Amino acid sequence: MSGIRILVADDHTITRSGLRMLLERQPGFEVIGEAADGRQAIELARAARPDLVMLDIAMPNLNGIEAARQICAELPKTRVVILSMHSDEGYVLKALKAGARGYLLKDSTESDIIDAVRAVHAGKAYFSPEISRMLVEDYVRQLEHRGMDDSYELLTTREREMLQLLAEGKSNREIAAMLNLSVYTVETHRGNILQKLNLHSLPELILYAIRKGVIG
Amino acid sequence: MPAANVPSPRRSLLPLTARLALIVGFGGLLALLALSGLDALEVLAQIQGRNDAIRRDFVLRSRSLEQIRAMLYLSGTYVRDYLLEPDPGKAAAYRASLADTRRQIDAHLAAYGRLLRAEEREPFRVLRQELGAYWQSLDPVLGWGPRQRREQGYSFLRDQVFPRRTGMLKLADRIAAVDERQLDASAGRLAELFASSRRRLGLTLAATLALGLLLAAATIRRILHLEAQTATHLRDLAQARSEQKDLSARLVAAQENERRALARELHDAVGQSLSAVLMELRNLAAMLPPEPADLRMHAETIRRVVEGAVDQVRNMALTLRPSMLDDLGLVAALEWQARETGRRTGMLVHVAADRLPDDLPDEHRTCIFRVVQEALTNCARHSRARSVSVTLRHDAEGIHLAVRDDGQGFDGRREKGLGLLGIQERVANLQGSLQVKSEPGRGALLAVTLPPPAAGPAGGGAAAG
Repeated sequence: MSGIRILVADDHTITRSGLRMLLERQPGFEVIGEAADGRQAIELARAARPDLVMLDIAMPNLNGIEAARQICAELPKTRVVILSMHSDEGYVLKALKAGARGYLLKDSTESDIIDAVRAVHAGKAYFSPEISRMLVEDYVRQLEHRGMDDSYELLTTREREMLQLLAEGKSNREIAAMLNLSVYTVETHRGNILQKLNLHSLPELILYAIRKGVIG
Repeated sequence: MPAANVPSPRRSLLPLTARLALIVGFGGLLALLALSGLDALEVLAQIQGRNDAIRRDFVLRSRSLEQIRAMLYLSGTYVRDYLLEPDPGKAAAYRASLADTRRQIDAHLAAYGRLLRAEEREPFRVLRQELGAYWQSLDPVLGWGPRQRREQGYSFLRDQVFPRRTGMLKLADRIAAVDERQLDASAGRLAELFASSRRRLGLTLAATLALGLLLAAATIRRILHLEAQTATHLRDLAQARSEQKDLSARLVAAQENERRALARELHDAVGQSLSAVLMELRNLAAMLPPEPADLRMHAETIRRVVEGAVDQVRNMALTLRPSMLDDLGLVAALEWQARETGRRTGMLVHVAADRLPDDLPDEHRTCIFRVVQEALTNCARHSRARSVSVTLRHDAEGIHLAVRDDGQGFDGRREKGLGLLGIQERVANLQGSLQVKSEPGRGALLAVTLPPPAAGPAGGGAAAG
């Protein structure tokens, strides 16, 4: 596999250059540009078409989430990882809805950052362990409180299998190929899963999968 | 009035003299009325008393005179019957009747003599004289025998008795006339008394009326003055109140802006700088040689400390003002708050919210968020609730927020902490209403309704995050 071409966007010069150094130490990682705000990030991404963009949320002119939304819309092959100080689920969900598939906290370890780049580049979702832990804990507490039956139990084995693949970022076609099913069947299963879990979108499904510990 | 309440000599003097004038004026008015009333009553009683006395006196006199006249007339009749009676026995009876009549006349005369007035003295004296002469002229006749009576009786009657009797009756009439004049005079005096009393009463009434009018004018003036003063005070008060409310609203807004600025500064400047330090530390650690091991250990320690600092800064910023409120909107911020509270306290906090208008002004978002924050804090501290539900509805009447817990409740009428007062102030600043319902053992409900925000350019929408 050829190298991963990365664009880094953060309004702090030190963070940017530090991140560049960290990434470039990895064989196969190449930082092809740095942006100081969201607008510049979009322009550079358009020009250079990187494999992956690392975006800070808090940036002047255009924030990272908006930048992610536009980049994902315009460049379907470019993956986005958010690197932020915000650990709240609201930000995570918003980032996922904008199209990002990775969400890292700024105090993540070096290995987390590198894992995130590799995972997201490979089409999987990746979240800082702290975020995964929080989501799972919240979920468990809610279950304990309500004493309600776990909706996960409603899923068939096949559906659980598909839930994991969907959350990992696989497309319907890929899943169909992997499970030896028709695309139509995969779509039907996907609809059933969302309905059984009372979810409405892929980002929500991904968060659910993390909470359940299916991925993460 | 206690002296401490007197604000200043100049202001207190005026009402004091005015009050004194009013007291004196009204007191005088009442006294005048009472005096003139008493006077009138007195005069009336006097008039009635005198009137009665005069009437009694007149009746007594005229009755006596009437008796005297009747007896006189009767005496003439007896004399005639005596003179013309041939039977000596019957004549003697008439003579006895005559003597009896004379005694009665004398008794009446004596009684009348005691009532005698100066004006009557002369006619009365003449009457007595005439009467004496009358009785005297009769004396010889009473000794007459039947023959003499028969022969001279008639001529005696005609020449002596009847003229004398007529003369005496005329005298009695004169006295009666005098009496009548007296009665008239008394009536005149009464009328004069009445008239003078009426004049006096008229004068006092006129004076009372004048004084009353004067007082009424002064009182009306004073009341109008006081009314104007009160209106001014009320206006001042209303203005002060609205200024206070305005100030409170601005204070709340200023505090919120300050918190927002501080939070952002902490998060973006301090937090990002610390993140940058972390990044550099990672690079440093990567460049460090494996030996000496101390060096790596120290670098690791620094990294942990900085990580802790990043966490602290993040938490401080969120405590001041959660960035979600500006970045992700009210509902996301409420959900975050719910999760945070759940994490810290173990309560299950459930948020159910309508989609709120995108142009919801910042004050409304902040107000609702702070109300929920305070309510959750209260629940966590006092209620021992297992779960709390936060619902946010939105309709044409405005935004309705309800925070309901299943805790131990409290007496909603008595307990009102500082936090609740703060909520009340925030809600009042937006013309909203706040309701707290709770009973011991039955949980608590805090309900807030905010009127729909006035249309217009307001700081809304998600800011850059």
